[in-house]
Amino acid sequence: MRNFLTIIFSLVGVFAISQNKQILYGFDDIPQSLMLNPGSKVLQKKHYGIPFLSQIHVNGGSSGVSVYDIFKDGNDDINDRITQKIFEMKNTDFFTATQQLELINFGWRAKNEIYFSAGIYQEFDFIAYFPRDLAILAWEGNRDYLDYEFDFGEISTTGDFMTVYHFGLNKQIGKKLTVGARLKLYSSMFSYRSVKNSGTFVTRLGNENSENIYEHTVQNADVTVETSGYASLRDLDGAGQVTSEILGRAFFGGNIGVGVDVGFNYEINDAWALSASALDVGAIFHSKDVENYRAHGTYTLDGINLIFPALSDGESTFPYYSDLEDEVEREIPIDTLHNGYTQFRPVKFNVGLSYGFGRFNATGACDCLNVGGENLRKQNIGLQFYSIFRPKKPQMAGTLFYHRRFTEYLSAKATYTVDSYSFSNIGLGVSADIGKVNFYIAADNLIKYSNLAKAKSVSLQLGFNIIIDEE
Amino acid sequence: MNKALSSFIFMVFACLFFAACIKDTNFDQAEDIALTPVVELDLIYFNLQAGRFFDTINSTQILTVRDTTEIRFLDDSTLQESLKRAEFHFIFTNSIPRDFQVDFQFLSELNDTTYVAATSVAEGTIATPVITEFTENVEGEGILSLTQAHKVVVSVTIPSSNENLEGTLNLKSKTTYFLEY
Repeated sequence: MRNFLTIIFSLVGVFAISQNKQILYGFDDIPQSLMLNPGSKVLQKKHYGIPFLSQIHVNGGSSGVSVYDIFKDGNDDINDRITQKIFEMKNTDFFTATQQLELINFGWRAKNEIYFSAGIYQEFDFIAYFPRDLAILAWEGNRDYLDYEFDFGEISTTGDFMTVYHFGLNKQIGKKLTVGARLKLYSSMFSYRSVKNSGTFVTRLGNENSENIYEHTVQNADVTVETSGYASLRDLDGAGQVTSEILGRAFFGGNIGVGVDVGFNYEINDAWALSASALDVGAIFHSKDVENYRAHGTYTLDGINLIFPALSDGESTFPYYSDLEDEVEREIPIDTLHNGYTQFRPVKFNVGLSYGFGRFNATGACDCLNVGGENLRKQNIGLQFYSIFRPKKPQMAGTLFYHRRFTEYLSAKATYTVDSYSFSNIGLGVSADIGKVNFYIAADNLIKYSNLAKAKSVSLQLGFNIIIDEE
Repeated sequence: MNKALSSFIFMVFACLFFAACIKDTNFDQAEDIALTPVVELDLIYFNLQAGRFFDTINSTQILTVRDTTEIRFLDDSTLQESLKRAEFHFIFTNSIPRDFQVDFQFLSELNDTTYVAATSVAEGTIATPVITEFTENVEGEGILSLTQAHKVVVSVTIPSSNENLEGTLNLKSKTTYFLEY
């Protein structure tokens, strides 16, 4: 248990993440911005992501607690800090982790001026809400919580590990509007979820009519864990077999899903531009290798009722304990089910409004980046909004940004983001072209980099592409 | 200037990443993390009628009645490691006009006695039942013995009885487990 807690608290801080890529969104110099808005403006003629290196994204977050909160060096007791945090945190606080790795990503502008792009990436996505009541029960026990109803409904967590195959179209329609869409096929390797649980556990002091001193009651429990891709792993031997089985599913060997991304960019006038996108509008249909567990029922435990039966020699009394166990299993059965389920992907929305100023003219003579005759701005400032659907409620973030093109080869974007994690999230991204190779890196929560332990979330994307500009 | 600028920005990034660290923290404290829940749980209960202490067929007194139940969770290895203290609390309500001796004998799976506790219960009347409370606190060495137990034998002894004896001996009990993980 202690090790488990250590791992959880370590993950919370060091590996903290969410899915917001506020720096990359609208950062048109980087081809991967197309993954955040299939309708964004595409500046290049072609791009090839360098396989396995075109986008590495990790993001982790915990809305209620940082590593520093728990492990800070101090004279006070670590257990007091944990106790304090458990009571401070709400059941809507959450821990998330996301990781994405692009295997392939490429795009090209066809003769009909449609920019096609396609690729494969692998994604891991995890969220767990803080089950406050159960944490209190585990941490403190029930002695000081007589009559308090511990809520099983607080258990809410999902985890997905999948490969995504995608193909997108992007086209500028007229002078002002660019639209795009991307079709995604999900190949799930492993998935679980436990959401929409209900029920309570309460210990009440009995009265004179009660059988015993207390009544321990589980009331209307209905707790479900759905898994896909898990049952077949259980029988495998060792990490090697498990790994090869999971990787085998990356190529449509597991459960399949489908989804779309859509987006647009609209230039309102010379200076203002509005963009928006909806990502991962889709679902995965889990039908193969599904195993679900459901515990439900109501039961009151009073203890063991001794009958004192008159026994002859050698006769044994009632098997009270086994009978009690049987009774609990009968009243709150744990069923193992194999019915398939549909897991909706967490839909993400991005909206951006930007104001550009200063005409960008890299060399003074040649307006090299100004391919379509439209104006590229030297500097942009604006606002972005992001939201992602999560089991309990959407998580949202607002961002102020400043984007600047320094040279034809170098541009940067700075962001200030307010979200569930903090009000002081400064991010910075740089895109640099060295010859045909584009390198970009984007990281947020920079203020916390001097001590990551204090950060409640960290997001990092980096990658290499080969970009071929318009002639 | 462009080169200088790009170098500068990369320097800033490089610094940030190399400077990124986790400080003022002490992960050795993980060793000190201890869950210390205090769990209240019902134990056994019974209602013994006075008639149970007299054999009407043979017209003889039954001075001691016994019953046994398994309490398998006690010698579970997890509990053995984590139980620091246990406090048994017994509440007897006696409306039989006799006092009683009640013995709790904890036995291992092989029927070796690992722990014993005993109390006497004051006599009462049907009109005014008498409540006797008894607390047995187990810690230290006692915990080692107690957590070897797999079952408990409850023996209730009456000094004398007859066929006209009336009333009920009721027991309610709970245990408070002081755990540390």
